[in-house]
Amino acid sequence: MSAACWSCGSALAAGAPFCVACGKVQAPTADVTYFDVFGLPRKLALDTSTLERAFYKLSRKLHPDVYARASEREQQWSLEQTSLLNDAYRTLKNAIPRTEYLLKLEGVEIEQDRASENGAKKESRMPPDLLEEVFELNMQLEEMRMNQKMGEDDPQLRGDLEKAKTQFEGQLAESDSDLQKLWVKWDAAVDADDEASQADAKNKMVALLDRRRYVRNLVRDVNEALGA
Amino acid sequence: MAYSDKVIDHYNNPRNVGQMDKSSQEVGTGLVGAPECGDVMRLQIKVNPETQVIEEAKFKTFGCGSAIASSSLTTEWVKGKTVSEALEIKNTDIVKELSLPPVKIHCSVLAEDAIRAAIGDWKKKNGVAETAEAAQTVAAQ
Repeated sequence: MSAACWSCGSALAAGAPFCVACGKVQAPTADVTYFDVFGLPRKLALDTSTLERAFYKLSRKLHPDVYARASEREQQWSLEQTSLLNDAYRTLKNAIPRTEYLLKLEGVEIEQDRASENGAKKESRMPPDLLEEVFELNMQLEEMRMNQKMGEDDPQLRGDLEKAKTQFEGQLAESDSDLQKLWVKWDAAVDADDEASQADAKNKMVALLDRRRYVRNLVRDVNEALGA
Repeated sequence: MAYSDKVIDHYNNPRNVGQMDKSSQEVGTGLVGAPECGDVMRLQIKVNPETQVIEEAKFKTFGCGSAIASSSLTTEWVKGKTVSEALEIKNTDIVKELSLPPVKIHCSVLAEDAIRAAIGDWKKKNGVAETAEAAQTVAAQ
């Protein structure tokens, strides 16, 4: 697991962009994670302003300009490390991408790769009550669009949709604060090395993100239909 | 990415769009959704209580062209089949028929889930055993 610095032979932390002993840039390892890039544990409740400072500091150190007179492979590595760092920062700085990324590292398949090509079954994770709501709302949206095509506006329908929008936006805000609670639970489980509790937090985050994706799309569709 | 001609055909002329009375004893309703893309699909079947043949199938899908085509095709396929024959429809059959690209395979999975859910609902309403084996055992007695 532990690799050695190509230059001085000191042991390297997993995925570290630099050798701490001699400061030389390292080749990105194949299994490096975005958490490794920042030397962070796989935890979720992280402070984004600290992350930002670490990002700028690393960016400056890794910038290809700094390596203009270094060996060719060091130039190449600084380029690769910089692009890795940018991806890592973009992913970790935002709540949802960070959570999705961690879940992916933990073996959860997200988005469209869940239904695999050989037709492997995924369980339907939507709670039935939400499905009913989603379906009803879509019916109303369709009616709204038809009306608009005919140049009509149904104030009752518009009012219903406004109400639905407020309700779903409330659900989004609620899911964000629920997610933060799950981060704390996850982080505590990681610290305690409690696998059962980790798995529980993981499953709850997956369910929450599934629901959130649905609601977010609904809000977007309602906004479109309302011409907002 | 271009849609295949068959997808476009089903999208432009969807078969069997509509709804049936959810509370009817002969009607099974499956409502399923894909959180990945926000698609939601309702598929209903009307089963002849004597022959267990699906006489009517209706769907309503909110989603992309592939989701609509998958559900439209599924309603065409299940009509005239018995309930147990309909359960043999696999999402891979839909993928093949519509030439769905890998990123749209989840649409076919959704359609398969929908038909299973509709049949499940009908079975529950009519007190039919869940598994095909069990149903055959009952029929043999």
